[in-house]
Amino acid sequence: MAEKRKYKKRYCKYCEAKVDFMDYKDAGALRFSLSERYKIMPRRLTGNCKRHQDMISIVIKRARAAALVPYTVTRKQVVVAPFENLK
Amino acid sequence: MRNYENLVIVKPTLTAEEIQASVKEIEEIITSNGGEIQATSPMGMRKLAYPIEKNERGYYHVIYSSIAPSAISEIERRFRINEDLLRFVTIKYDTNREKAAFNGMVEKAKKDASAPAKVETPATEEAPVAEAPATETPAVETAAPAAE
Repeated sequence: MAEKRKYKKRYCKYCEAKVDFMDYKDAGALRFSLSERYKIMPRRLTGNCKRHQDMISIVIKRARAAALVPYTVTRKQVVVAPFENLK
Repeated sequence: MRNYENLVIVKPTLTAEEIQASVKEIEEIITSNGGEIQATSPMGMRKLAYPIEKNERGYYHVIYSSIAPSAISEIERRFRINEDLLRFVTIKYDTNREKAAFNGMVEKAKKDASAPAKVETPATEEAPVAEAPATETPAVETAAPAAE
């Protein structure tokens, strides 16, 4: 329910901020388009436009290869939230 | 010549001098293959999002350079042979928009390199100490002397 409300208003946050380029090294900025299990959130929930969704999916996959963002998170790790320890 | 960004993760089990030596070696691989290093930015010791070769942490180093496209395969081959590297990521900056972003990042890296020289050393030292008690880093630490 909480997640539903979070994504209710449908507009592209990246268009609003006029993002032209995303850096995969800035792992914190990618958090918006990731679920708590670190899956890439679908466009229908985040409201991202097609252009920015394509950009973010490429950038997230790069960050995964560089071990900045996990590929998957098990049930135990969801509680710990590994992202906070990264910095 | 095309703009590329190389991110390398060096093994955390090495000592600080060994890490610097291997970073220098990596930069030499690029320059010896006709690459021109524009800027480098050490991201320092970080926790990995997932263990690589049973290492929980890694030393991140980013190199921005312009390299001939044909030399990339040779550079990557050399990276694969290098056993100090846990992981490397090579990214091409080709379109106009990407080039602009690349130049911006190069400028930023240069500025960071010149300004906070003192800040770097405590930051890299503190990070592992703070994480040590909570996570499984003791296991890594015991493994380190054995490897050396």
